[in-house]
Amino acid sequence: MLFCRGFSRISRNPRTILLGFILSRPTGPSQSLLSNQYLNSTLKVCAGRETFSWSLPAFLGIGRQIHHQSSSIIEEQLDPFSLVADELSLLAKRLRSMVVAEVPKLASAAEYFFKLGVEGKRFRPTVLLLMATALNVHIPEPTAGGVGDTLTTDLRTRQQSIAEITEMIHVASLLHDDVLDDADKRRGIGSLNAVMGNKLAVLAGDFLLSRACVSLAALKNTEVVSLIATVVEHLVTGETMQMTTSSEQRCSMEYYMQKTYYKTASLISNSCKAIALLAGQTAEVAMLAFEYGKHLGLAFQLIDDVLDFTGTSASLGKGSLSDIQHGIVTAPILFAMEEFPQLHAIVYQGFDNPENVDIALEYLGKSDGIQRTRELAMKHANLAAAAIESLPESNDEQVRKSRRALVDLTQRVIMRNK
Amino acid sequence: MTILFSRVVSRISGTPKKTFFNCPQLCQALVFGTSCRSPTDSTPKDKVDPFSLVAHEMSLVSKRLRSSVVAKVPELASAAGYFFKEGVEGKRTCSVVLLLMATAVDIHRPESPFCCIGDTWTIELRRRQQLIAEITEMIHVASLIHDDVLDDADTRRGIGSLSFVVGNKLAVLAGDFLLFRALRTLASLKNTEVVSLLVTAIENLVTGETMQMAATIEQRCSMEYYMQKTYYKTASLISNSCKAIALLSGQTPGVAKLAFEYGKNLGLAYQFIDDILDFTGSSASLGKGSLSDIRLGIITAPILFATEEFPQLHAVIEQGFDDPANVDTALEYLRKSRGIQRTRELATKHASLAAAAIDSLPESCSMDVRKSRQALINLTQILTARNK
Repeated sequence: MLFCRGFSRISRNPRTILLGFILSRPTGPSQSLLSNQYLNSTLKVCAGRETFSWSLPAFLGIGRQIHHQSSSIIEEQLDPFSLVADELSLLAKRLRSMVVAEVPKLASAAEYFFKLGVEGKRFRPTVLLLMATALNVHIPEPTAGGVGDTLTTDLRTRQQSIAEITEMIHVASLLHDDVLDDADKRRGIGSLNAVMGNKLAVLAGDFLLSRACVSLAALKNTEVVSLIATVVEHLVTGETMQMTTSSEQRCSMEYYMQKTYYKTASLISNSCKAIALLAGQTAEVAMLAFEYGKHLGLAFQLIDDVLDFTGTSASLGKGSLSDIQHGIVTAPILFAMEEFPQLHAIVYQGFDNPENVDIALEYLGKSDGIQRTRELAMKHANLAAAAIESLPESNDEQVRKSRRALVDLTQRVIMRNK
Repeated sequence: MTILFSRVVSRISGTPKKTFFNCPQLCQALVFGTSCRSPTDSTPKDKVDPFSLVAHEMSLVSKRLRSSVVAKVPELASAAGYFFKEGVEGKRTCSVVLLLMATAVDIHRPESPFCCIGDTWTIELRRRQQLIAEITEMIHVASLIHDDVLDDADTRRGIGSLSFVVGNKLAVLAGDFLLFRALRTLASLKNTEVVSLLVTAIENLVTGETMQMAATIEQRCSMEYYMQKTYYKTASLISNSCKAIALLSGQTPGVAKLAFEYGKNLGLAYQFIDDILDFTGSSASLGKGSLSDIRLGIITAPILFATEEFPQLHAVIEQGFDDPANVDTALEYLRKSRGIQRTRELATKHASLAAAAIDSLPESCSMDVRKSRQALINLTQILTARNK
């Protein structure tokens, strides 16, 4: 009953409902912010990796089901996602029709990711649409007929385009990050199907990236083009940082935070900034939008790191442990290493040996690693909220609502336990 | 204010003032890296070599390209910069075309080669046009890198392909990096029309590759499909960047279109000759080429023409070319047919169209402009006459 409002927004697919309470993280070495479900049996891009869609209820937390009634308008609960849900589905439809290639095979591969109901809650576009409203450009009120929003504002359409572009880039980066190395092929891990899926992944990723470029160019704003182009450079840099870390770098918190910014936060922060630029906002406001996105992204990733160890329980070792098993050293371990320098030696050895994983978990348990990571996440969440609070005042109710929702999101990001 | 005014006046009258440098020759040397030329040049037409005409400028462009492809992560930087190293850059025909085009469309350049270069505006414009050349190279190399991943190619430009050397994943990422570094550089030109042009080229490259990889048998046997794919994969980039060059210097849409037509027809002609050489190599006889296209199942113009004469070839194509016996069969039909000859004629036709586009440009009295145009025309001959 608590979650029924949320459920009504997603398909009544039994599997989705079952998954509704589960926040599964990818089992692969992904640091992506809220991966969309993209396992496709015809793609087989990565041996054994699965992602699940994020479901709204699992994320929303408990007890936010307050309904207001004022005059003839039924106010939505202050649920960040439902504030923009209708707009989001419009976006999804547009995105799907945009991803129409001349070659059907490719279109179906790329389209898979954008299928309604499969892509989860689409955290990023939600943030961007809320930001667009928060910066004083709001949707016209719905007609008396109800459902059919007439989103006629040209500016709004352009900002929606940013949301579409970031999704295309995000999915493309997932596809390219999962390309097999020759080493895997040589070891015989890649089956023919996987190899074919490999190529399709490269091509589908290229396809999405080129479409993103076309949409970007259509905005006729070279500053925005520059921003988003930088994002892709960052995504690539972050992924290669992760691929090629030396042992020394792996133990560095600074390196880790830089990599996390590149891989996770840059996309949101720069697209938030782009939203502001399109709205003709001042440099200061654009910077605040950027800061919000950056800190939100970082906070999100840090909690992700914690959950990889704890899972839905509070205790260690119940999470999927996929990061550490792939040799990715995240914030909790980095903090633990500060308290227990012996952990350095284990990290240097690597984690192919499952015993090392256990030892690391032991040290982690004894240390303040988890706690300190949570505190760091909290710090960034607060910085994100502060950025919103610093925006120039507005009396517009829609604007204030969106800003509240954005602040609300910062809390939900760190409060979630799955 | 007076400087601005005089600059406006000089732009209108077409005679740039020497506002910046005292010595135009020095300036010319700085910008173009060339030495001074005498006012009357008696070089015969056919001796105007396109590559040497812009050789100095090309080395400037290459150097700048090398230094701009930097990245935080050393492995990424070296992967992205792999094909820009000295000796591995290829002929950079595309960049040569663009630099020549930049001069060729400079309709209002005055007659004398001396007094035109001292203008800041002109220097800046040239720099921007050189940037187009850099951007185009980056896009081109990015697409080569991805193509090699998709084709499982081991070699490229006489060395190991990037995917062979660093693995598929890093190669794919390096390609992405280059592409978006190019896009960022493109954005810095602050010209949304130029951005659109090159983004169209980027999209076309992907579409072309997709058309090649995912074609049905029917499509692979279709000349129309093949021409479209060839335009996307080979000609689109150069045609759109030629147009961009023209737009940057504020030329009319008519001139821009002619630049586009040159690039397009040159690109197509180039590809058709490439198709032939894949069969003949440097010899005139068949089967001496690398035969890499047909072995990958890529059906090119010569085979398509042969199939028109010998429909039996259809069945062979359908079977595919994993079996080397089928390759031999196809070669036999090709030998009996006029496939090679007709492809050569097609290449010549497009080369002529390219040359015609240059001839249609508005007259110019400038020696530099005329020389560049002649170089572009000579290039069409050079590309179609080559045997490797």
